Amino acid sequence: MSEETETRLIVVAPDSEITPDHVTRFIHALELPITVKETCYGAIIEGKRELVRKALQEVRKLDPNRICSKIRGFPMGDMRRCRAHHGSRPGFPQLEKEWELLPLIAEGLRSAERGEKIEEPERKVKLPVKELKKIVEEVSQ
Amino acid sequence: MKIFIDPPNSLILYDLVERFGHEPLSTMGALREKVNTLEMDSPPLNITHEDVQKGLKYAGIEVPSGIRGRLAVFGPLVDEAEAAIIMEDPPYAFGCVGCHRTTLMLKYLIRKRNIPLLEVKYPTSEDEARTMVGKIKEFLEGLS
Repeated sequence: MSEETETRLIVVAPDSEITPDHVTRFIHALELPITVKETCYGAIIEGKRELVRKALQEVRKLDPNRICSKIRGFPMGDMRRCRAHHGSRPGFPQLEKEWELLPLIAEGLRSAERGEKIEEPERKVKLPVKELKKIVEEVSQ
Repeated sequence: MKIFIDPPNSLILYDLVERFGHEPLSTMGALREKVNTLEMDSPPLNITHEDVQKGLKYAGIEVPSGIRGRLAVFGPLVDEAEAAIIMEDPPYAFGCVGCHRTTLMLKYLIRKRNIPLLEVKYPTSEDEARTMVGKIKEFLEGLS
């Protein structure tokens, strides 16, 4: 595979109205000489780097804040990763976890577009032992 | 600019870095060269003797081979980076980012390089996500 070839995951946020089927059909309709495969989270595309980037640029316009993408190391349908050949899928649990989080990131992007001021929210912390002891004592009295 | 992301296979960080006009340095990019090379050194992943030696640059011989192996992939990316973003406390630890000791060593290597560095926390609510994305945007726009 040449250096100029790129494989990309296109991931659609769970709260988006766009479906993986829509994404795949849209890319097909662009009529670019790239390979497209529909997946449960969006699509995988592969082809010459500039064409893949062009397809990504176009597909992002469908829902700019809720369509995300990253490159993939293994080529599409690679025997070492392909489910049809019982390949392992070590990256999928991580991808799934981040996919769940995409609605929050989309909200973050909208907020950044509006130019909202960054304010550090208070993070939830674990209950200190002293506090817990105090509660237990109060309840047991 | 070339931005190293940690966790190095994060979809969110990869997408945000690219969205704000920079080049992310990730595991996927580094491994792509290995798995796509036609050499038959050590199929199926083409791990060579040179890779093993590369790991020694970042961690001593007494360090477990798994850590050295991981650092052989991540280390050159850190060397190449012009800036870095670390996302603390990601809830997933699978595959290449599953080793906590490697993560600690990696953060040490990044901090040692004295490049512009942003440390954010993995968001768990909308407020935290707004802060995280805002900080990343500000950081990346400030670099160019």
